[in-house]
Amino acid sequence: MKAHELNTGKTPVWCPGCGNYAIWNALKGAIADLNLNPWEVVTVSGIGCSGKMVNHIRCYGFHSLHGRVLPVATGVKLANHKLTVIANGGDGDGYGMGMGHFVHAMRRNIDLTYIVHDNRTYGLTTGQASPTAKRGTVTKSTPEGVFEEPVNPIAFALSAGATFIARGYSGESEHLKELIKKAINHKGFALIDVLQPCVSFARDYSYDYYDSRIYFLDENYNSNNKESAFKLAFEKDKYALGIIYEDKSKPTYEEQHGVLKEKTLCEQGVKLKDISPLLKLYK
Amino acid sequence: MNLISLKIAAPAGFGVMSMGPMFAKVLKRSGFYVMGYPEYPSLIRGGYNSYQLLISDEPVYNPYIKTDILLTFTKLSFEKEKIEENVTVIADFEKLKVDKEKINAKIIDIPLSKILKENNLKDIVKNTLALGYVAKLLKIDYKIFEDVIKETMPEKHHEINLSALKIGYDICKNTFNFNFEKKDYQNHIIVTGNESTALSAIASGVNFYSTYPMTPASTVLHFLAKYAKDYGIIVKHTEDEIAGVTMAIGAAYAGARAMTGTSGGGFSLMVEGLGLAAITETPILFFISQRPGPATGMPTWQEQADLKFVLNASQDEFVRAVFTPGDITELFYAVNEALNIAEKYQIPTFVLSDKYLSESLFMDTEFNLNALKIDRGYVFEGDKDKPLEFFPRYKEVKDGIPQRAFPGTIGGIHKTPSNEHDEYGFVSDDAKVRKLMQDRRFKKLNSLANDMPQPKLYGDQTAETTFVCWGSTKTVLLEAMKYNKDFNFIHFPAIYPINWDETKALLQSANKLVLIENNFLGQLGQVIAENTGIIIEDKFLKYDGRPFFTEEILEYLGE
Repeated sequence: MKAHELNTGKTPVWCPGCGNYAIWNALKGAIADLNLNPWEVVTVSGIGCSGKMVNHIRCYGFHSLHGRVLPVATGVKLANHKLTVIANGGDGDGYGMGMGHFVHAMRRNIDLTYIVHDNRTYGLTTGQASPTAKRGTVTKSTPEGVFEEPVNPIAFALSAGATFIARGYSGESEHLKELIKKAINHKGFALIDVLQPCVSFARDYSYDYYDSRIYFLDENYNSNNKESAFKLAFEKDKYALGIIYEDKSKPTYEEQHGVLKEKTLCEQGVKLKDISPLLKLYK
Repeated sequence: MNLISLKIAAPAGFGVMSMGPMFAKVLKRSGFYVMGYPEYPSLIRGGYNSYQLLISDEPVYNPYIKTDILLTFTKLSFEKEKIEENVTVIADFEKLKVDKEKINAKIIDIPLSKILKENNLKDIVKNTLALGYVAKLLKIDYKIFEDVIKETMPEKHHEINLSALKIGYDICKNTFNFNFEKKDYQNHIIVTGNESTALSAIASGVNFYSTYPMTPASTVLHFLAKYAKDYGIIVKHTEDEIAGVTMAIGAAYAGARAMTGTSGGGFSLMVEGLGLAAITETPILFFISQRPGPATGMPTWQEQADLKFVLNASQDEFVRAVFTPGDITELFYAVNEALNIAEKYQIPTFVLSDKYLSESLFMDTEFNLNALKIDRGYVFEGDKDKPLEFFPRYKEVKDGIPQRAFPGTIGGIHKTPSNEHDEYGFVSDDAKVRKLMQDRRFKKLNSLANDMPQPKLYGDQTAETTFVCWGSTKTVLLEAMKYNKDFNFIHFPAIYPINWDETKALLQSANKLVLIENNFLGQLGQVIAENTGIIIEDKFLKYDGRPFFTEEILEYLGE
């Protein structure tokens, strides 16, 4: 199957030049390259411009609520862990409202791919400051500038125990596609924080801004070292692209679950169960 | 009718909450009918816990204010309890430093600590020793108690407890003055409401339960977690209630039979998930056990004040089903029905319990497992010839109900958005689409109302007073009815949607209606007024955190 066959026939409503187009193409390309059956792929999203991704890929799709991408995706995966579950969210969605779920999904090491469209702004609500906006960013909701420190998604994920942490850039779609493929193939929770210019509202973070600050991690970089990963996470004014950290040794949540050892929950079916042995305890 | 009210009281952490149900089982096997009612503050140690056991020779459904035998391990009992001359108080008076001369009651003073010391037994088996004494007092066969201890306690605790039990029996030289007809209750079970809920969930094929612990619903989580592996259930204690409900929605969407459970405070957080379940037409059962107070309120006490919250929760309008079962047996079948209705109609459903029903111990004939069924509604099996075609997930198949396609199904690809959407699930804010979808979803109401249990009259049709109640207040009135035949009552085992024409006729056939509810506003009364125009002026409302005690009903009726 070719990437374009994964189109749904619906025209995206993202702004011209939006970084979402590149993420869209990378995601379709990754699904096509991996030869996944579209009916065995589920994309789950939250709310925001990132959330609209669900409408544009020919596979099952659940467009959930703001910040609730990960618990919904987790429920889908636990019910049928043979499915490929790809969560899409924004920085406001996942690092703001959904921050609690984010930490716990990583602790669980549930086998999901989580693509965060990180544009440092709330695009769909016309440009308020998001949790990744730098201190001092002036927006409609922060006329005196943001007072808070920005969330550092990579450092955060490292401390929460994510087993695959990568950074992509929507100006580098081919590279991003390869990252998504690796994330899907990774057994466990995979975060890809995607630097995504919002051409309408986050003008401080334009393609020009990122183009001059990104660089690719080379083959010599050891992605299994948490210390060097932390160093990269705290680099100033430079953005390393690639797999920043990967740990292949940890079991996934569903691998450890006694109920899911032999069959998926769905394969086990829904049936009446004989509770007469339990009722004896109450006689 | 014969009845003994036995109350065991102690500071929290003393084991009263496990001794109560254990002794109830001993009593049941000895041929008594039993009901158990616990009261406890939200404390792990200290405070005042009590477990009331109502022992009778005919069905007993509800707690009483009165106590006949008080077995106490705390001085606090002498402040908290009404101790009068006809009450028998059993205590270690020396240890409690209570002057028994000042107590105007029948005193049985047992130097529990001293006896244990003499027998080289640890103080922790004080309660077993004392219960052994009470058992002998009630002429209970030692063997029955011995068996129950062996069945309910971990093996390493058997020896010490059985030694204490034996001593308790040996030192008791008298018997309580009573003459009950003992019966064989082997075909009965004795369970709490929450045990009934969890048992039904397992039997009914629930295979996904995710939530955050909240009293008084937590024991359903504990029960399901305990048996999850044996029965193939994923039970997840999530980071919060929002994750609890949305994870269950994700699982149900993917094909699991999902349920969540909480109390009002947790449900407040779950409300956005309720709306998500509604618009995506994902079946999910909410089990809600009510307690008093907004915010944290009174975590371990009784109220029935979340009815209107559950009926109206979430923005916009959509179809839901709300069951309000009155006892453990109705609860057991309601969970099964609510799961089937959720899947058949693809709507969120509710089973409302409350602290009193959830945590009290009730006896009834064993549940009929053959009466349970599973209805998963319209599920698309797949079409191998059209693997990539979009599936009309939200197109009506029958009576407003569409067909579900679980991810993984070939030919079932569709979208499931929290936005309004067209029949394939693509987001749409087209006026015609919105109206079409809303009309279709509400069409479900027509047949749904007939699938729900309808209000029912209990007692003599011509009685002077007709109480109107919902949920657990049923057991209160059943107990009071043993003493007073001048009243009957209408109980609502479900409130929405029901057949209001029939309900109106039933209400109009009564002489004098009195609303009885554990809340301040009389919420069922408001729902009745809204749906029938009938305004029930007389209200008997209680909202002090306690259920109605049997004597209170009789007093209201003027006895």
